Amino acid sequence: MARISARWQHRLLLWPLPAVLLLCYVLPFAGIAVWSVTLPEPGMANYARLATDGSIHAVLWRTLYLCATVGVLALLLAFLMAYCWLYSSPGWRRWVELCVFLPFWISVLVRTFGWLIALRSNGLVNGWLEALGVIDSPLALTRNSLGVVIAMVHFMVPFAFFPLVSSMRQIDDRVLLAARGLGASRWRVFVSIFLPQTLPGLLGAFIMVFVFCLGFFVIPAILGGGQTVMAAEYVFLQMFQTYNWGIGAAICMLMLALVSGLVWILLRFSRVERLVG
Amino acid sequence: MHQSHQQDCIELLVEKARRGQIDRRSFLKAAGMLAALPLAMRNGIGWAQERPIVLVNWGGDAIDAYRRAWTEQFSRETGIAVRIDGSGPTEGAIRAQIASGRPSWDVVDAEPFTSLTLGREGMMRPLDYSLIERAKVNEAFATDYGVASYLYSYVIAWDKQRFEETPRTWADFWDVERFPGKRTMYKWMNGVLEAALLADGVAVADLYPLDIARAMDKLDELRPHILAYWGSGAESQQLFLDGEVSMGQIWNTRAIVLERDTEGRVGWHYDNACVTPSSWAVLNDNPAGAESTMRFIDHALEPEGQVELLELLGNGPSNPAAAAMIPEELVELNCGSEENLAKQFKLDIEWYADHYGSVLDDFLTRTGA
Repeated sequence: MARISARWQHRLLLWPLPAVLLLCYVLPFAGIAVWSVTLPEPGMANYARLATDGSIHAVLWRTLYLCATVGVLALLLAFLMAYCWLYSSPGWRRWVELCVFLPFWISVLVRTFGWLIALRSNGLVNGWLEALGVIDSPLALTRNSLGVVIAMVHFMVPFAFFPLVSSMRQIDDRVLLAARGLGASRWRVFVSIFLPQTLPGLLGAFIMVFVFCLGFFVIPAILGGGQTVMAAEYVFLQMFQTYNWGIGAAICMLMLALVSGLVWILLRFSRVERLVG
Repeated sequence: MHQSHQQDCIELLVEKARRGQIDRRSFLKAAGMLAALPLAMRNGIGWAQERPIVLVNWGGDAIDAYRRAWTEQFSRETGIAVRIDGSGPTEGAIRAQIASGRPSWDVVDAEPFTSLTLGREGMMRPLDYSLIERAKVNEAFATDYGVASYLYSYVIAWDKQRFEETPRTWADFWDVERFPGKRTMYKWMNGVLEAALLADGVAVADLYPLDIARAMDKLDELRPHILAYWGSGAESQQLFLDGEVSMGQIWNTRAIVLERDTEGRVGWHYDNACVTPSSWAVLNDNPAGAESTMRFIDHALEPEGQVELLELLGNGPSNPAAAAMIPEELVELNCGSEENLAKQFKLDIEWYADHYGSVLDDFLTRTGA
């Protein structure tokens, strides 16, 4: 038997991934793309509606706004946690790890119902606040967009934590020490030396969180109280309740374009291998 | 050799079947009556196996209840297995089944306007009234593509700990001064626009065609007091159990359970409720074919099973003959009784068939913001 060259061995080993992607993702997605220009009749009517329909715009803007809010909050928390994890005592590290990993391992459905129990009007949080005399009547913490944001931030923190830790670890401590040695204050070192070096990590983490959030379904459906419809649930409605498959497919295409754009930015300005390294 | 009379009968049956003198259904029915089906099955008689029926309903307790009220006995009598899938035959889901070219569903427990809309588009089988006895239900309930399986109702339920007075009308539902507390209504719109219009002073006779703009404006008025639009029966139940809402527009079936589970803390009645049938319908080109599914539907219109479903879930029988068999303690729970029907208004299925999709879209973007 002829020896297969090393180059061909690589190719053989690599082909299953693109093949699976093609079969399981690209082909079905091509079907969606076709729906968007053929249902209910051939033409660009769905995209025209996408461009002009105020109620669809409302859903899309709400989705973008909530995802951006979640992105910023999750990044803030994850940054603090990553910083703690990197520069604190082993005991603290353990705590941070616990806070990141425990929720990471629990199903999103369980956590969503957990938040519902904690946040609802006669739930744990309102109960404590009332017992402490902080509030007289319960706060509307859930069944609205606030509840959705709280649960989504909680879900997304680990996804922001790992890229941030990885980018912080690549910062050369000696540079920070040198800055201190040259007379910079701690704050100055942080703002001028440390923070700029984490920017690619921050950008990457933000995009990852943002893209992930765009497709959220369970959390807004349960914690939104039927009154915080986001893009994924809206597409579901178009497919299964109001059967406008064409418009549902067109929204999918728009979301894909948006995600592709963000991924392009991610690849262009942030080195992906450093985020996972 | 000792042989019981029963065994002898079975032998005779098996012999007849082998010679092709009786058909499979009669054989199984006879063998079933002799309570000897397993024995008879081992005798190596070959029939073309009839395909099991896949029945799609809305899940939850209904899966078990349908089994007890309908499918177990049907299978015993005919030898045709029925599998229940609780994934919910929404209009979109049925369309997806048909569009796939090879539907896996047979019988659906669908909204009557869904059967009507899809039937008109050629996606449902016309019901075969030579196999289904049409007279088993009220004339209005047997249409070309759907026949009423049972009745249910969207009722006003309230938490008695929150106010003394009994809310009676939809105007009361909107009156947050006299009846303080949060509200919940149905997410998928059925009966919600009607409630808003009735609250706004429209008479029942003038409800349809619905004045959508007026209804939406009236809903906006209540918006700050609507805690959630419930999407599933379990969700509506939870909102009351946890005391999160003081009043809601919920299914009578859930209201019955709530009143029992809260030992009367949650009250409800049929006054001004919105009653509507659910319907049996069969998908076109379904795997089990027309005959067995039509026979199943005919079986499910028998009064006995419908009374059993009333006992299990609280669904009102669609067959008027059931009325005489309903145990006394269940009579007032039956939303289909003459007395209760008089208190309620009927959802206009024709209007929903023509408008549901487009209006629901507007409704959801209005409520979902």
